Amino acid sequence: MSAHFLDDERIADLLVLEVTEGLDPAQRQELEALLAGTSGMPDALAGAAAAVTLAARLPSEPLPAALRETLIKQGETVVRVKAANKVQPLPVRKPAVAAPSARTPAVPVGTAAGARYGWYAAAASLLIALAAWFPRFETEAPPALVEAPVPSVAEQREALLAAAPAALKEEWARTEDPASVAVQGDVVWDEATQTGYMRFSGLPANDPSESQYQLWIFDGTRDDRFPVDGGVFDVPAGATEVVVPIKATLPVRQAALFAVTVEAPGGVMVSSRERIVALAQVASG
Amino acid sequence: MSESLMTRIARGEDAAVAEVIDQYGALVWSIARRLTRNPSDAEDAVQEIFTDVWRSAHRFDPSAGTEKVFITTIARRRLIDRMRRLSNRVPTESTDVLDELGFHTPDTAGEISVEAERAARVLATLRPEQRQVIELGLLQGLSHSEIAAVTGMPLGTVKTFMRRGLIQVREMLGVTPGEVAGGEA
Repeated sequence: MSAHFLDDERIADLLVLEVTEGLDPAQRQELEALLAGTSGMPDALAGAAAAVTLAARLPSEPLPAALRETLIKQGETVVRVKAANKVQPLPVRKPAVAAPSARTPAVPVGTAAGARYGWYAAAASLLIALAAWFPRFETEAPPALVEAPVPSVAEQREALLAAAPAALKEEWARTEDPASVAVQGDVVWDEATQTGYMRFSGLPANDPSESQYQLWIFDGTRDDRFPVDGGVFDVPAGATEVVVPIKATLPVRQAALFAVTVEAPGGVMVSSRERIVALAQVASG
Repeated sequence: MSESLMTRIARGEDAAVAEVIDQYGALVWSIARRLTRNPSDAEDAVQEIFTDVWRSAHRFDPSAGTEKVFITTIARRRLIDRMRRLSNRVPTESTDVLDELGFHTPDTAGEISVEAERAARVLATLRPEQRQVIELGLLQGLSHSEIAAVTGMPLGTVKTFMRRGLIQVREMLGVTPGEVAGGEA
């Protein structure tokens, strides 16, 4: 028998943790470093854990009918959007895309009561009339006749808008934060598929080693104190426009307000709201 | 041989969505109910899980394992992420409050899937206390230290039991690293 990565006790311990308790970012980094150069993968025990789960005598409980309908509706939309993306031609001119970063998940603890009202108040007091709509992505030149097996985020956003007419689309409002002075763009969110995209221009590039942008989504059906973490992202230097996919960490049933803050690298669990750089309030009705 | 549901989903066949839900919805719901605090949490979790399933369907490799394992892998990953995110582990002070689930025998597990049958074969050879550790960790959502607390076993023993058990199951499955992994990281 040859030496195997699972013979390394630390690797094995981390792999077990991964499928039982999960890994924190430092543990994940350690595991990846230990596995580098071996044949091991970070999820080497995932199949075994799944098989044990299947071998258990789990109480049989039918899926609630209403949930079944919701899942089917969501699933059909996601599958349609993905299929639509596959045949989207590549546009000639593409905006820069800011990929979401690894981040610390949001955990709703210890926030002062009435947080959302504070955010709303901030929105009301800080809103500046937007000078103009950001022009839609242009395809004035004939698109290249090339299939995009991996559509860009901008293309995915366009596909979502085409496939989900009920998706909401709200403009970003500026705040008094210095980084907000030239912010323009919009946020698109489709409740059915729980997918959405933020589009920005004028949002300054950030140094990820110093700070990162983080999206928060206020959900009208959840406790106002606990906005949903919508993901951490960066704006690369030199980008004139960025499109960022939203990575909501919890289902959002009734989006009420989107807010972008500047946070420590990796994001935070609870924002101090010291630096709000963009806000988009969902129009009621 | 008919095409797998995951392949059809990956191809963009939205009609396959309802079939996936009808085939695997109860399984995912049962797992989510074990590892969440209440039905509302479970509903949120199941939506997260299936969103990941739709997005990850193209990664399914039928030669590496069944769809059941693929979907269960995604479900477990999402539920663990969720537990970490929400500090959601069920607080447990003793095994008295945990309803014992137990495992199928290899004979009955074979009706579920070939992987379940192989896992059951391994589990049947383990000492009862090792089976208990695996059950508490994988099916009841207890951390290693919580298992040590409720069983009175040393933490090192808990870790060893869990590690050895999972590695044995992995060997029985005959997988190579990462083969059955599914879902978005």
